[in-house]
Amino acid sequence: MSASIDNPHFLLRRLHSLLGLLPVGAFLIFHLWENSQSRFGAEHYNEHVVAALKGMNYLPLMEIFVIALPLLFHAGYGLVITAQMRAELARYSYTRNRLYWMQRVSGIGILLFLLLHVGMTRIAGFWDPSVGDDLFAHMQAMLIQPWMLGLYLVGLLLSVFHLANGLASMAIVWGLTTSVRGQTLFGWVCVLIGVLLAAMGIHGLMGFLS
Amino acid sequence: MIEQPIRLHIRRQDRPDSASYWQEFAIPGHPDHNIVSLLMALRENPVTISGQRVDPVIWEHNCMEEVCGACAMLINGVPRPSCSALVAELEQPIRLEPLPRFPIVRDLLVDRSRIDQGLKQVKAWIKIDGVWDIHEGAPRIGPGEWAANYLYSRCMSCGCCMAACPQFGPHSAFLGPAPLAQARLMNAHPTGRYDKTQRLHAIMAEGGLSDCGNAQNCVRVCPKEIPLTTAIGELGRQTTVQMLKDIFGPR
Ligand code: HEM
Ligand code: SF4
Ligand code: SF4
Ligand code: FES
Repeated sequence: MSASIDNPHFLLRRLHSLLGLLPVGAFLIFHLWENSQSRFGAEHYNEHVVAALKGMNYLPLMEIFVIALPLLFHAGYGLVITAQMRAELARYSYTRNRLYWMQRVSGIGILLFLLLHVGMTRIAGFWDPSVGDDLFAHMQAMLIQPWMLGLYLVGLLLSVFHLANGLASMAIVWGLTTSVRGQTLFGWVCVLIGVLLAAMGIHGLMGFLS
Repeated sequence: MIEQPIRLHIRRQDRPDSASYWQEFAIPGHPDHNIVSLLMALRENPVTISGQRVDPVIWEHNCMEEVCGACAMLINGVPRPSCSALVAELEQPIRLEPLPRFPIVRDLLVDRSRIDQGLKQVKAWIKIDGVWDIHEGAPRIGPGEWAANYLYSRCMSCGCCMAACPQFGPHSAFLGPAPLAQARLMNAHPTGRYDKTQRLHAIMAEGGLSDCGNAQNCVRVCPKEIPLTTAIGELGRQTTVQMLKDIFGPR
């Protein structure tokens, strides 16, 4: 009778959707907010942001269960979903169709960016403790190179787009927005959220350069 | 009135498994041709512009008033019923292709039985008989709800929405938008409500609602302007509630 829980298809898809927002999306927002404090300078950033985070209770467990595993599941299942796409953008050049395509393409972009980003910060820190000790200087040295700054900008904008557009589609998936009017209005709310997050993220990147 | 001949490019295919090819025709102009009447005129004299006599073009049509859905095809790249596609409003040469994402039988004739399979899968009908009398008295329904439901009842299974859907096709088990919208309609019916849980469970399995990626092409191309994406949102809400019931009870 309870076919929807005996058959995991639906639940997996809803889990993918939920994890995109909680915790992955929530972490992205927190992460951008933390790093926007780069504008207060190296000392503040290294002591009040990085060191404070490092001293957090159960940090490794939280990194694994609240960030890494949910993200890995979302990314892995996201690739499965992406493989179902047969988009014809030229024939159906509607905005939502483009956003549908961008949601999937940005997902792949984020995945590639994250491999690099996590590799150059968290993983690099395992080999070279100085990375974590003075993360500000490490980031500054990287972002001072224009191509690296460009890469981070692209990674940031793709992530923010993916979260904002994901919120709009999530609202339809879970049945929050049903009418055309509701979907359009909430779409604009998501645009606003996206613009604010992008601004905060760029502010954070610029903070390392000052 | 003497008119310019109407230029037509048709993508043809002789067998379900053979390769497709294009043929060009020029048909004596007539001011009020639609695509079906144009193809009828072509059938009388199927000669290409190079003078070669070919097999008549195969396609489906029936009602000629956009209610049966049989005549859908790709016209200048857009999926739409051909009986309501007026030649005077189309750019020439007019390109006709079979409705995409459905298996081709021959020429412009496709096998759309996947729509019927989908309708069966979601139980898109009302049971009027049971072990007890279900329909005692006329089911009452308010005018607002009636008006909303009426929109969905106009679906003619033409398949245009499915042809435009990036998640539907031979590569996937996705039911597609039309059967989903019918599940929404039947769930709202005073008698159909009794099978709501079963319908929701049907669309919470493989090929169900969650295979929709919200590209919303379907609602743009539906010739009957059926609010497919509203149905998808409403089913999203119904399945959310159903999921909570399935997990936490009561069923
Ligand atoms: C910063 C990291 C990420 C965040 C914050 C995030 C967030 C989200 C959110 C909120 C959704 C909406 C869920 C829904 O529509 O039901 C979503 C959808 C999606 N995500 Fe992610 N995601 C991230 C990374 C990725 C990665 C790495 C991939 C895969 C390569 C990916 C693939 C997808 C796909 C394919 C969808 C579309 C689901 C649909 O609309 O049907 N995401 N994501
Ligand atoms: S919903 Fe519209 S496009 Fe789809 S089958 Fe029905 S009438 Fe055709
Ligand atoms: S919203 Fe998009 S993915 Fe969903 S059924 Fe319509 S066309 Fe297909
Ligand atoms: S012939 Fe019936 S819809 Fe065109």
